Amino acid sequence: MNHRFLIPLGVIALAILVAVVLVAPTSAAAQAQKAAATATKAAAPAKPLPRTPDGQPDLQGYWTNNSYTPLERPNDAKKDFYTLEELREVEKRRAAQEDEQTVPGTTADVHYDFTQFGLDRSQTRLTDNLRTSVIVDPPNGKLPPVTSEGQKRAADRAAERRKQGAQYDQVQNIPLGSRCVYQNAGPPMLPPGYNPAYQILQSKDTVIILIEMLHEVRVIPLDSRPHAPQGYRSWLGDSRGHWEGDTLVVETTNFSDKVGFRGASENMKVTERFTRVSDDAIRYEFTVNDPSTWEIPWKGEMPFVKINGPVFEHACHEGNYGVANTLKAVRIEEKKAADEAAKKGTK
Amino acid sequence: MRITLAVTITAILLLAAVPVWAHHAFSAEFDVNKPPTLKGTLSKWEMINPHSWFHIDVKGPDGTVTEWMVEGGSPNTLIRLGVTKNTVKVGTELTIEGYQAKEGTNKAVGRNFVLADGTRLFLSLGGSVPGTPGAAPEKGSEKK
Repeated sequence: MNHRFLIPLGVIALAILVAVVLVAPTSAAAQAQKAAATATKAAAPAKPLPRTPDGQPDLQGYWTNNSYTPLERPNDAKKDFYTLEELREVEKRRAAQEDEQTVPGTTADVHYDFTQFGLDRSQTRLTDNLRTSVIVDPPNGKLPPVTSEGQKRAADRAAERRKQGAQYDQVQNIPLGSRCVYQNAGPPMLPPGYNPAYQILQSKDTVIILIEMLHEVRVIPLDSRPHAPQGYRSWLGDSRGHWEGDTLVVETTNFSDKVGFRGASENMKVTERFTRVSDDAIRYEFTVNDPSTWEIPWKGEMPFVKINGPVFEHACHEGNYGVANTLKAVRIEEKKAADEAAKKGTK
Repeated sequence: MRITLAVTITAILLLAAVPVWAHHAFSAEFDVNKPPTLKGTLSKWEMINPHSWFHIDVKGPDGTVTEWMVEGGSPNTLIRLGVTKNTVKVGTELTIEGYQAKEGTNKAVGRNFVLADGTRLFLSLGGSVPGTPGAAPEKGSEKK
């Protein structure tokens, strides 16, 4: 009974043997380039890349960017790439941390059992990204210095939040993801943690990306039409695409200032490059340009790899009892504090 | 070589914060100082996003029945592992260890879901389940 959900150790052993997917990087580091060149050679497709009837490289299908790779390089990872052995150790340890955090005293934010909740990242295919960070430029894998304008904006935003009260005092202060509003849909499209599934569809003049997390859809026209007027602002921005050789280039502007990706302003421009590098993988590169926030543009890179479909609907608002539970808890705490204060006052 | 690797990995892990990518802020909603163990029968399983909710009838020592609502996994991720609403049928006996909601009623979040025969539900040791959505396509299995 239900033993089919107990994953035998053999499956894990099998997973460890799954071939490594490596995608050629653009890092400036010579050593990294060398490693990547070798890897690219190893992963070079034996047959021509798939194309649509229009002759475009075929990006269609189901994909994931699921990985434990952080945006910024951890301080002690003094290199661009892990070996496969090191990556497996990191993944194993991170999966264990997701399990351990169910026990009080282990982490600041004790949590439920991610494994039992199906939230453990390793339960969807991992991309086997050997990079130690998503950021490839600056070459140190860190975000570039923030401008004085960017620092002031961050301080102002923090002050505004504090003025509204504590994070869980009222619904507007609860993080966007918890309110089912926005979670890593991008661009740039970073792994959302769970539900990391994407479907790409394309026609001659449009590319559509269906994002499972929070059920987002990106519609990217390829017909050279201009961007929407400046006043049009949205969570996913306004995207325009074109082909440069076999690479789909997508430029996105017109973000809402509520997005504030890593402290960015609403004038952030994200340029993404999608290149089908093998039957199994798309190389995904992006450049974030926001001179009012960072002193220089910065770049990231990671693979998307194939998964079995479908992409499921994620009707996040349908049963989001968490918001009501949280607010009710705060009101109870407030009442308790008020009662205690009143009791003290009458003594 | 092995020592260098171990040191590198340890250093990386010590410095990398444990990111929380669950749907909501756990500590704002649930109380880690109130970890009830609930033994009862399943009366309803809401397979709704962002989290499923188990409704269980818990019988007290005096025979009175109390209904508890226990938060469980995200339906999409559970379905991806091959779990359906029929996996745990209404009437199934369950023991759930969890943390009670701070909002004071009989709500909790589940840590462990255990069947009468001791089987832990949904327990995966990591790794996607071959053949399910979210796993790598098996060679030759793709539709043209």
